[in-house]
Amino acid sequence: MYSAFFVAWCQLTYNKVKLAVAAAGVVVAVMLMLVQLGIRRGAMDNSVAVARRVTADLVIVSPRTKTIFASAQFPRRLLYRVGSDPNVLAISEMYMGQGRLRNPWNKLEFPVSLYGVDPSAGMMELPGIERFTEELNDLDRLLYDGMSRTNYGPIKQYLAENGSLDVEVNLRKVRLINSIDVGISINTDGNLFTSPVNFLRLFPDRKPGSVDMGLIRLRPGADTQAVQDSLRQYVGTEAKILTREELVAAEIVFIRENAPIDFIFGMGAAVGFFIGFVVVYQILYTEVTNHLPQYATMKAMGFSDRYLLQVVLSQSVILAFLGYLPGFVLALGLYRVATKAIQMQFSMTVERALFVFALTIVMCGLSAMIAIRKVRTADPADVF
Amino acid sequence: MVDEAHNSTAQTAISTAKATPAISARHVNFAFGEGDLQKQILFDINLEVATGEIVLLTGPSGSGKTTLLTLIGALRKVRDGELDVLGHHLHDASLEELVEVRREIGFIFQQHNLLPFLTARQNVQLMFHLHPEVSPDDASRLTAELLTSVGLGHRLDYYPARLSGGQKQRVAIARALAANPKLILADEPTAALDSQSGRDVVNLLQELARGRGCPILMVTHDPRILDVADRIINMEDGRVHPGEK
Repeated sequence: MYSAFFVAWCQLTYNKVKLAVAAAGVVVAVMLMLVQLGIRRGAMDNSVAVARRVTADLVIVSPRTKTIFASAQFPRRLLYRVGSDPNVLAISEMYMGQGRLRNPWNKLEFPVSLYGVDPSAGMMELPGIERFTEELNDLDRLLYDGMSRTNYGPIKQYLAENGSLDVEVNLRKVRLINSIDVGISINTDGNLFTSPVNFLRLFPDRKPGSVDMGLIRLRPGADTQAVQDSLRQYVGTEAKILTREELVAAEIVFIRENAPIDFIFGMGAAVGFFIGFVVVYQILYTEVTNHLPQYATMKAMGFSDRYLLQVVLSQSVILAFLGYLPGFVLALGLYRVATKAIQMQFSMTVERALFVFALTIVMCGLSAMIAIRKVRTADPADVF
Repeated sequence: MVDEAHNSTAQTAISTAKATPAISARHVNFAFGEGDLQKQILFDINLEVATGEIVLLTGPSGSGKTTLLTLIGALRKVRDGELDVLGHHLHDASLEELVEVRREIGFIFQQHNLLPFLTARQNVQLMFHLHPEVSPDDASRLTAELLTSVGLGHRLDYYPARLSGGQKQRVAIARALAANPKLILADEPTAALDSQSGRDVVNLLQELARGRGCPILMVTHDPRILDVADRIINMEDGRVHPGEK
């Protein structure tokens, strides 16, 4: 085996230009696969980021709600009814809506997601929002998501330098009192957070009695599953009670079914795989074809078919390694570029790194398998 | 018919193995193709080569010399007749057994067929990969000795592209001899060389073969090298005409 590997190594490295081209093909393939799968995962992660930020034990949503970005409302009284259960420690309502924030610099309006939550309830992980509990209950006070897109203007910097900024949201003058970093997604370009009272002021046609999501904190030690079942009797068919995990899972299902994320980026990754496959196949095939007399000679000298197959397979494995490492580094760079450009977080995971490495090996291995058929045609009797 | 031709060095080298000839063909027929398209190439070949003998195989092109050589070299399967090479019955050997037999034979081709991406040293050393019983240290020592003995001690780490035709063929000879073959088969080893290099290559082969008592069967058209033969076998139209030296 070592011998076949040695021969493979010498054969590949003999012509440096050819090796560079072959490795470049694999690099492109690896990079494409990593980036496409990374963006797919990133888009998915960012889209369910709001759902993941829920820290309540159970949530209530309308049975008509498919995603929290386009939620239907349910009657608030159901939430109060649930609050009467001895296992429930606290309840909190949450309003969500899509509004329009006017960029104070260029006077253009851009869509923005608005959240009305009780800042002191501690049922949503919005870093630092507790500090503004009192201020947010004051008239028309909002918090700005520091990770919003730049459409809205340099609001974050302005807030950091000047403390507050008056802007127009839904044709109403409001004051942004600070920014917290939460994060945006493919569904939304920016977020604003405030108390339920201020939320309702921005949406005059929304009634306080219909909420988008009910957040439930259970008594310590309560069995979430059992309580979830017992609470169902309070809401009947008018609302659904979900655990945190079920909420996230439902969001993922919604995005899978409604946004072509999987398809688009899965396709991109598949194209990368295909490019790599074709390049490696071409290289290995021409290597075998060009050296057919030499391979036949080796067969005549007593080297077995198996040995020559090992040589070709070793070449494919070497190419996989030579292509993967630079491809990986390049993909890391592209993640950073994408994170900056799209303003969504893209990061490498160990699973993805291993998965794409496995794909690379399979890609090169498959190419070798097909190129190998040519080796069998090397007839030692033909060299005389 | 076989024994008269040995010279004295070969005689001593082979005295123990005299009884079994290195090659023994009995009534070998060979044809390409099937059915109506069948074309018979070899007719009733009977031939023996004793250990230590240098036998030249001559004849016009198309007379079946090369086909016979590929049969003896275990590169093609014998379908009709009996062919014993180095004690193996090739006529009823499996492909795996044929591959085993090939490892005991040193091949020298018209084209050197060196691997272009390996240096002269690596090309020769590759043969030892087939013989794991030789330690890596011995293998590299033997490789250097062999290449030195063919006059390439100063070209050990040259790639074939930087060697002349004669030098490449000498590397090929070193490679053929590397694994201590019990038989050398050569197909017009001088055809691609000028007369001086051709002569050198043949002398080298003769010298090395005599020293080891290794029989050589060489196909050649080259009249300049007929003198190295112990025996010349003439082939015509697929039949053997035993010649005189």
